[in-house]
Amino acid sequence: MTAAHSIIVIGGGASGILLSAHLLRQSDPRLRVTIIEKRGQLGRGLAFSSDQANYILNVPAANMSAYADEPDHFHNWLLARHPELPDDPWLFAPRPIYGEYLGELVRSATATASGDARLTVVDAQAVAVRERPGGMEVELADGTCHVAQAVVLAVGHEEQPSRGNGVAVRAGSDADTPIDPDASVMILGSGPSMVDAWLTLAARRHRGPIRIVSRHGLLPLPHQRSLPLAIDAADVPFGTNLPYLTRWFRSLVQEAEANGNDWRSVVDGLRPFNQRLWQSWPADARRQFLNHLRPFWNIHRHRVPPGLHSRLQRAIANGQIQLMAGEVLHLERFGDDVRAAVRRRGHHESEAIVVHRVYDCGGIALDVETSSNPVIRSLLEAGAIRPDPQRIGLDVTTDLNAIAADGTTSSRLFAVGPLTRGQFFEIEAVPDIRRQCADLAQRLLG
Amino acid sequence: MLTRKGKYGLKALVHLAGLPPGTSAVIGDIAQQHNIPKKFLDTILNELRNAGFVVSRKGRLGGYGLARPPENIQVGHVIRVLDGPLAPFPCASRTRYEPCEDCDMATCQVRHLMLDVRNAIADVLDKTSLAEMRRLGNGELVLPELKQA
Repeated sequence: MTAAHSIIVIGGGASGILLSAHLLRQSDPRLRVTIIEKRGQLGRGLAFSSDQANYILNVPAANMSAYADEPDHFHNWLLARHPELPDDPWLFAPRPIYGEYLGELVRSATATASGDARLTVVDAQAVAVRERPGGMEVELADGTCHVAQAVVLAVGHEEQPSRGNGVAVRAGSDADTPIDPDASVMILGSGPSMVDAWLTLAARRHRGPIRIVSRHGLLPLPHQRSLPLAIDAADVPFGTNLPYLTRWFRSLVQEAEANGNDWRSVVDGLRPFNQRLWQSWPADARRQFLNHLRPFWNIHRHRVPPGLHSRLQRAIANGQIQLMAGEVLHLERFGDDVRAAVRRRGHHESEAIVVHRVYDCGGIALDVETSSNPVIRSLLEAGAIRPDPQRIGLDVTTDLNAIAADGTTSSRLFAVGPLTRGQFFEIEAVPDIRRQCADLAQRLLG
Repeated sequence: MLTRKGKYGLKALVHLAGLPPGTSAVIGDIAQQHNIPKKFLDTILNELRNAGFVVSRKGRLGGYGLARPPENIQVGHVIRVLDGPLAPFPCASRTRYEPCEDCDMATCQVRHLMLDVRNAIADVLDKTSLAEMRRLGNGELVLPELKQA
């Protein structure tokens, strides 16, 4: 496409801010960026909106800079703005502070001395996006429209619980009303959002039993200071089937262990190639990975800070947390409680478990056709976007152009961040999103 | 380094890429047409099958065929499976390197240059599919970049 000078970014969470920051970093004086964010606050998407200080990042400060070419950017900002925190690039900073960092990244662009701001933040819910002959049009909930040469969807994670027909809630959401601290609860899923839910409960001094149900009953493993193995693309077996890749991975771990490292160095060394590995696989290997390997990959890849991990272990040891491997087949209200039909792994029969509340912390990789976001829904209805073949996000090209229902590629509608999971898979964390945003900013500005 | 194994494997795959989709070829025919020792080819195709690039079909019309369309198999991916990490010299591999006895791997300028060279090689090979390779010379030509390697 020819260079765009007016760009609308829908979503002011981490993905939207990172893209805007990379756009505004260019000195082009004609550039106009509009962020449409329904919360009215920048950098407070699902990941960084919490105002509870015990939510911390699960990536150390050294890897959280908005700019890959300025790795100290976040760490230096922390030193300047939060001298109360220890000066440690390995610090797992409180998440609200990262939200504050994100907001400040672009704030300077909204107020320039000349009064002609390069960034406009619109506090509204976008409801529709339409391609017009002259450009793109974004309609807001109040009926007003904004036009631009390009629109980028940065709506991040789905906000509504995906399962449990309205019975399960997200921890910390409005539906998560106060409960008796001795009540028993159930958490669906055992990944990073389970850890968040558990932290929310712990902060409320919840004493009741907590059942955590996930397919394999696995917990995320702890971080440790380890150096990523130096791996080049020329070393990585792209395009093979999964058994071959698994054998290669295991032998590399054995080698790393023989050299005094551990699996973390291999997982972290491989990280720059995760996207390329995913893209090198045919559809059946991708599906196989999602169905069989993902739970095991996730606990090694998405680790938790060591202190948090030992707190979780203690809660398991003292019996407050009970891990269950299995599947929740059905949830229904049962008086003031919830009755869950749970089938344990390896069993044929399901059992009924009654708890007071169920928290949905299941996968964030959801079929976009079930999205609660009005922009996504209206674009799907219009046939302007479609789910990716694995149904874990939106179908986009490797250059992030949206692909319409009929397979045509838009030159004006793009997506960034977790929405593009089908094409990139590893696109949840800041180090990956910032690189994606830097590339897209460059392409958009020509 | 492209070994005979890698070269034979690529020739066999290009042969399979020329078959009508869904059909297969027997080892004897491939070996004879390309002057490859049959037993060696047997080992090679078995390794390619374990890595998911080819499938073997049993029965009277059985033999080997590509596991997916030749447009979706990259030459570099195949060579990594047959010959290990792409490396022009034994020391220029990060995961499977064989250090030279007479130099320090951290400071050896030759090794550092060769690490760059290998990434350039990987880039060419990973951007070339079997289908493109087949068009290079009716299935006869080995990639010129690797002839001397």
